[in-house]
Amino acid sequence: MKAIETKQLRKSYGKTEIVKGISLTVEQGEIFGFLGRNGAGKSTFINMLTGIIHPTSGSFSLLGMEGGDNMAKKYIGVMPDYANLYGSLTAMAHLKYFSALSGKPAAKAVCMEVLQQVGLDEHYNKKTAKFSFGMKKKLGIAQAIIHDPELVFLDEPTSGLDAESVLHIQRLIRDLQKRGKTIFMTSHNLNEVEKLCTRIAILKEGRIVQSGSMDELRAAFRSTINVNIKHSPIPASQQESLHQWLEEAGSNLELNDGEITITVESEQKISEMIRAFQQCRVEIYRVHVKEPSLEDIFLEL
Amino acid sequence: MYEIGKREFINLFKSFKSITIVVLILTASFYSAKFSRLFEGEAKDFNGTDIQYLGLLVLIVLFGTIFIMSLSHDTISREIHERTIRFLVTKTSRASIILGKFFGILLFWVICLFTSFILIGIFTQRIDWFIFFQTMSSLTFQIALTILVSVLVPKPMVTMFLGTLIGILFPILGFWLMTTERVWAVWIKYITPFYYLEQPNFSFLVIFLFSAILLLIASFILNRRDC
Ligand SMILES: Nc1ncnc2c1ncn2[C@@H]1O[C@H](COP(=O)(O)OP(=O)(O)O)[C@@H](O)[C@H]1O
Ligand SMILES: [Mg+2]
Repeated sequence: MKAIETKQLRKSYGKTEIVKGISLTVEQGEIFGFLGRNGAGKSTFINMLTGIIHPTSGSFSLLGMEGGDNMAKKYIGVMPDYANLYGSLTAMAHLKYFSALSGKPAAKAVCMEVLQQVGLDEHYNKKTAKFSFGMKKKLGIAQAIIHDPELVFLDEPTSGLDAESVLHIQRLIRDLQKRGKTIFMTSHNLNEVEKLCTRIAILKEGRIVQSGSMDELRAAFRSTINVNIKHSPIPASQQESLHQWLEEAGSNLELNDGEITITVESEQKISEMIRAFQQCRVEIYRVHVKEPSLEDIFLEL
Repeated sequence: MYEIGKREFINLFKSFKSITIVVLILTASFYSAKFSRLFEGEAKDFNGTDIQYLGLLVLIVLFGTIFIMSLSHDTISREIHERTIRFLVTKTSRASIILGKFFGILLFWVICLFTSFILIGIFTQRIDWFIFFQTMSSLTFQIALTILVSVLVPKPMVTMFLGTLIGILFPILGFWLMTTERVWAVWIKYITPFYYLEQPNFSFLVIFLFSAILLLIASFILNRRDC
């Protein structure tokens, strides 16, 4: 059974199509990262899966249940991108109310435990009208996991939080996965997704432009390995031929005194290059290889 | 559904506005009961019913809509406006949100009406259950109408305005329907609750059916709405 399966999911507002036919599969136990710039359509997509908005066309299933099936709601937890809380209720009251709504009323001790997990235990008895943005976000995460769901949707769980809280929440997400839960999260923070997610889809203008594990994404973009070599002076007699060799080996060649920078397409080229240097009796002091980060991949698309 | 209803019910009891209205209705029943005792024999037996209970029915038919609208016009529109509804629709079905809200509000009014009838009953030594259920049917319809308005218009400011407007116009419409001779008005008569409340028989049960239809429409609309 797949945790999530979507087929040609689309959403239009009026004549503008926001989500342009997304088909993807998320296995159980994954942390799936949905990455894209602001306005790419991440929230629109996630809101369709969680039943907040209706797809214009296409279909999906969650945990083997047909999309829109109210039965599935018991097993999923959702932190929407934007929603106010009830200002007159305390954090604890929220969790009690929401867990009961999910059909799994949580005891006070359980609520406290979840509040502690998100770092809100000290404020359990405070009305949310007095909550800061970050505190509201944490309570948003708490209510998404209070009923111990199998599949958790988190729409930008860490954006707008301070550095310490970000780490806290990231640890929580990993713990959820360790307990066998599936997490589908969106983010526009590349580092976070890179660190956390088992698989990633990159969304651009409502379309998935690339998806796979981090390694697969990097492999797909191997064409951009950046190599920087520090070396001993090149003998005058060899300069001409070595330069010519380098010109043919890669692109973006930069030659400085005792240092070259070049972009090559494969790792093979790096070893060939080292051999070429040695044949010309040039000593290599240091090789610095910069693989594309997700950021580079992302910007390239 | 149960949880949403419970919260709605408790919120109504907590609000100052609703307590004011309850006190108003209870005071009205108290005085109508007391007043009727002064005219014992004369005031009794109007169409075979106690006039003081009839007074309460008229009060609810005329002012019930505006009472209920003023208290609950935003029961769903505020949730949509504040997007708190997102927490609800991701946990339960939209139909159970509608039903939960409906039963929560209904329970509040049942208790309020029941207390009024008991209060009058203490004075008159008799409770007219027929009028009680007639009045209940009117309240049920008005609550369902309020919920429909709250679903149709997702802005609390607009539902407040609309609710007040309907609260004033609806009884006027009812009064006009009762007195008008126009032929084309007849069919309107049959789809509004007033006609059925006038009858001294169980035809008021039709009003419960109307309420169910209003709730079905509200549920249908909310089901299709993006939150
Ligand atoms: N209800 C709506 N009506 C019209 N356009 C919308 C609506 N909701 C979102 N959009 C548009 O859809 C695009 C994608 O929004 P969103 O899914 O929130 O992006 P992301 O979450 O990736 O930042 C944006 O251009 C936004 O303006
Ligand atoms: Mg978003």
